[in-house]
Amino acid sequence: MSRGFGDIYLTLFGLELSVMFQYRAAVVIWLLGLVLQPVVYMVVWLRVAEAKGGKVGDFDAGSIVAYFLVMMLVNHATFTWHMFEMGWRVRSGFYNAILVQPLHPWHRDVLANVAYKVLALGVILPVAALLAWYFEPTLQPPLWAVAAFVPAVILAFFTRFLFEWALGLLAFWITDTSGLNNLYMAFILIFSGRLAPLDLLPPILQTIAAWSPFEWMVAFPVELLLGRLTPEQTMHGLAMQVLWIAIGFAVMQLTWVRASSRYSAVGA
Amino acid sequence: MNALRLLLLFFRLGAMNEVQYRANFWIQLVRTAMNLGFALFAVFIVYEQTTHLNGWTMPELVVLMGVWTLMGGLVGVVVQPSMEKLIEDVREGTLDFCLTKPEDAQILVSLSQVKVWRLLDVLVGPIVIALALAHMGKATGWQESIAFAVTLLSGSIILYSFWLMLSTVSFWFIRIDNILMIFHSMYDAARWPISIYPGWMQAMLTFLVPVAFAVTVPAGALVGRLPLHWLVGTIVLAALLLALSRWFWKVGLRHYSGASA
Amino acid sequence: MSMPAIRCDALSKTYRVPEREPGLWNAAKSLIHRRTRDVEAVQSVSFEVAPGEVVGFLGPNGAGKTTTLKMLSGLLNPSSGQVRVLDHEPFRRERGFLQQITLVMGNRNQMVWDLPVADSFARNRAIYRLQRTDFNETVAELTELLDLGELMAKPVRNLSLGERMKCEVAVALLHRPQILFLDEPTLGLDVTMQRRIRTFIAEYNQRVGATVLLTSHYMADVEALCKRVIVIHQGQLLFDGALVDLVQQFAPHKTIVVDLEREGLDLSGYADSVSVDGSRVTLLVPKSAAAQTTGRLLAELPVVDLTVEEPPIEEVIEQVFSQQHTST
Repeated sequence: MSRGFGDIYLTLFGLELSVMFQYRAAVVIWLLGLVLQPVVYMVVWLRVAEAKGGKVGDFDAGSIVAYFLVMMLVNHATFTWHMFEMGWRVRSGFYNAILVQPLHPWHRDVLANVAYKVLALGVILPVAALLAWYFEPTLQPPLWAVAAFVPAVILAFFTRFLFEWALGLLAFWITDTSGLNNLYMAFILIFSGRLAPLDLLPPILQTIAAWSPFEWMVAFPVELLLGRLTPEQTMHGLAMQVLWIAIGFAVMQLTWVRASSRYSAVGA
Repeated sequence: MNALRLLLLFFRLGAMNEVQYRANFWIQLVRTAMNLGFALFAVFIVYEQTTHLNGWTMPELVVLMGVWTLMGGLVGVVVQPSMEKLIEDVREGTLDFCLTKPEDAQILVSLSQVKVWRLLDVLVGPIVIALALAHMGKATGWQESIAFAVTLLSGSIILYSFWLMLSTVSFWFIRIDNILMIFHSMYDAARWPISIYPGWMQAMLTFLVPVAFAVTVPAGALVGRLPLHWLVGTIVLAALLLALSRWFWKVGLRHYSGASA
Repeated sequence: MSMPAIRCDALSKTYRVPEREPGLWNAAKSLIHRRTRDVEAVQSVSFEVAPGEVVGFLGPNGAGKTTTLKMLSGLLNPSSGQVRVLDHEPFRRERGFLQQITLVMGNRNQMVWDLPVADSFARNRAIYRLQRTDFNETVAELTELLDLGELMAKPVRNLSLGERMKCEVAVALLHRPQILFLDEPTLGLDVTMQRRIRTFIAEYNQRVGATVLLTSHYMADVEALCKRVIVIHQGQLLFDGALVDLVQQFAPHKTIVVDLEREGLDLSGYADSVSVDGSRVTLLVPKSAAAQTTGRLLAELPVVDLTVEEPPIEEVIEQVFSQQHTST
């Protein structure tokens, strides 16, 4: 049975990759925003550091650049867009076809998501390299941090995916979820360290971030690769990620069960 | 003028349509509050650490944020929804309904959709600007006010022309249904005075996607940071882009009519 | 008798719909307080379907047939009543259940739009976990039956509506389901393609013994495929039985059209309902009396031409619905 599952995943992944490739122009356009935003904040904080004589907090110019470039890559690896599509899906009767099939719909979204990212790497890696050449980051993490980085990113991906997919399901209750989605985007921008490194935020916000899943979705792997964490902090972080994945999974499943029972199958 | 009459008509229709979705009103209210809150928060976080960002003080940056909100609202009320509809119509082939009507097609497509609740942004923006100016203490002279009005108008025209040109591209590339994202991504960068960016980025934000003219220029005009040649340049560019976008629109239309079955 | 494939008892579905008067003032009022209305889409419908039966659901748009179908396929949660399909509760969407059913909706695309048809086949193979050998066999069979050979490599978006429907049906049958839910499968197709699809469904039912539930408002679909029809109108089950019985019950008449040599003859003695148009007279007679009346007409009158007609089934159905209207 598990071998069957692997076969399913591989086949479906290949299909999603093919479809995504058809939309490669749109993929590039999405990437524009993904790349631009961290660069904007990077520049802002560079100017702040300049105004303060070279350093803001314990970040100098080189580490600011490193932070935001790594942030760009981790954000790319973990972001999802499905919450923006759900409204349309519910209204158009898209789920009519999906719900009759014996496969939990979230699998297909995971595969589409990963397919997009794999394809986008072809653009985002050269762009990151170019930006690194221009802005000159300083990045010298210890080897163990580099090794821990990969599982941290994978765990971060699932944490973020579960919560954002569950958020998207609110479209089964609310006709227009764009407001909620934007609210969420604002929160994650702040508390996952994309607006500014968490250490530069007022202490109370840092506490909120640590208690929320957001820090573990993005900021944690970034800080890890920058070599800013001790091994103890890293273990703690990975544990937090696992915890939030468990919570996220429960939330997602519960929401899905209620959403599908509420489904009024409008559309054709 | 005819366009004005049409605008009012579409406005009423759009308003009635919007009001149906009662959640939308509250959602926009929250959204405007959130956007503003977030923008101010970002400014606050930055100014926790410094008093000047590339020479701009915090109240001046808040003025910029206000202009950003105002412009975003102006675009969001009618330009954005209409252009989104245009792209959809091109894709679905339903643009024909517009083209067979006796009004000028460009006016019709530019006014076709109205999102009334975005007016909240148009309301909130000037309030924020006024509060920031009051906080700054110094009185705004008539020169700055006129410059502000002129650059605001020019900026709006520039943005509209840009949106039109971007949407017209979809006549050829139907599959890029997120082409408007280009604007949103760049507009996000316009939250900050473009002087903070390295030269090549400034060039992108001025010539590629002219968001600089939408936000930094009017804000600069209001706080007295706008050199005269920028003022003149903005007006000239507005006129130029308006003409260019109209020409490009006509080219696109010819292509569309020729191609449709 | 073996267990029924489908069984519903007092199945009902009620929707809550917002209600608003037109105009700007009412629109503003609706911001504060929203009025809703309950719509009973399906009211207490009960029936059983044996394995291998082909049943047609007839009814005007909005009658509740699609809603019923959606409850049977597990998409919708019934408001009340019981439903069991293949001894499962559809709404629980258990894998064992979903593996045995299929849903095809006319004019709605379930395939991957941008990729060749073969990729949509591959997708369903993966989702339904089909063994390659079985899969290849089924594909070969369906390709032959539906003549899909040249379509397999074409992207779905390049297919015509008829070609797409053929492929949609094929994709839906790859996992050899035991129950086919077909919702308006011939919608928008040209006459040739409609016939093609109908023939295929009949053949498939013969070969595989699958149970077929078909909704349509094309009488031709129903006449060609279904010995049994269920008529649903305004959410209620009006008739459940053989098509012939439907006609018999609701339209036990035949029409005789007579062209006479001259005008002015009085035929009121031959039938209760007579309408005259110059030298052409139309009589409405009970079926049982049709033959006799025909004989009398031919013997006793100067007849140039005479035709005996069954009322078209559409009219019968309309009669059924309008009767319901007047009786409620």
